[in-house]
Amino acid sequence: MRFLIVDDSSTMRRIIINTLNKLGHSECLEAANGREGVDRLASSLVDMVITDWNMPEMSGIEFIRALRANDATKKLPVLMVTTNAAEDDIKEALRAGVNNYVVKPFTPDTIKEKIAAALGA
Amino acid sequence: MTIPQEILTNLVTAAEEVFETMVFKPLVRLPPVESEASQRESGVVASVAFAGHRRGIVSIHSSLEAARDIAGAMLGMPSESVNGEMPDAIGEVANMVAGTFRNKLAAVEPASNIAVPTVTVGSDFTTKYSPTVRRARCPFAMEGQSISVELILIGDEPAPSRPH
Repeated sequence: MRFLIVDDSSTMRRIIINTLNKLGHSECLEAANGREGVDRLASSLVDMVITDWNMPEMSGIEFIRALRANDATKKLPVLMVTTNAAEDDIKEALRAGVNNYVVKPFTPDTIKEKIAAALGA
Repeated sequence: MTIPQEILTNLVTAAEEVFETMVFKPLVRLPPVESEASQRESGVVASVAFAGHRRGIVSIHSSLEAARDIAGAMLGMPSESVNGEMPDAIGEVANMVAGTFRNKLAAVEPASNIAVPTVTVGSDFTTKYSPTVRRARCPFAMEGQSISVELILIGDEPAPSRPH
């Protein structure tokens, strides 16, 4: 599987990539915000997007809305990884079109389970 | 006016969860310190402000060496190799501690919103706030090193209310 990791923190991108590598996924693209994520997807095919919520230029929620408005990406599985865990936050993310939701801090097992759930496994 | 114990317990628990899960370095609690503790020993301060039902700041204080160890542990690299990665890593720790603290409070009261982290690196500096703020510092031992998590609350304790 090929992943696109969208997060303004290079540390969090590295942690997620290290986690995916441990789970046997070695193909990962990176973007530092939603705008870069949209540009990446215009030129690269991926199987799943993992995105943060709070980012400069284009937030994770705006990014997901942009994906869902585009025929090429409207069915792309999206996992949101964020510290926002209030009930209203999760409702807003689901309304925007996220497939599943991981609250930081997280364990590799949580990422594995949520990826499987987002893929409908 | 002091910060209620249950608020500090949420902060301490949030820090412990983040360090256990994402830094892989368990924290050992030391007694909290109320009042304006000296910060001259701090080499790195990572702060995240929050606003809404409550207003304030959550800060992580550590030595430069401890901050490099934290970054190395998070990134899976030797701390001696950590250099430019440290500010982003310690900022992300502050972001996760503040976010987890905010989520714990949001279970019993309206949620506040957190801002992006700011990181200060240096020596012989202090952070000053209005004398009307309430502040408490929660020290921890981390594998032989000292770090602390500070909470600053602006304004009086809000009236009790139900979460949204």
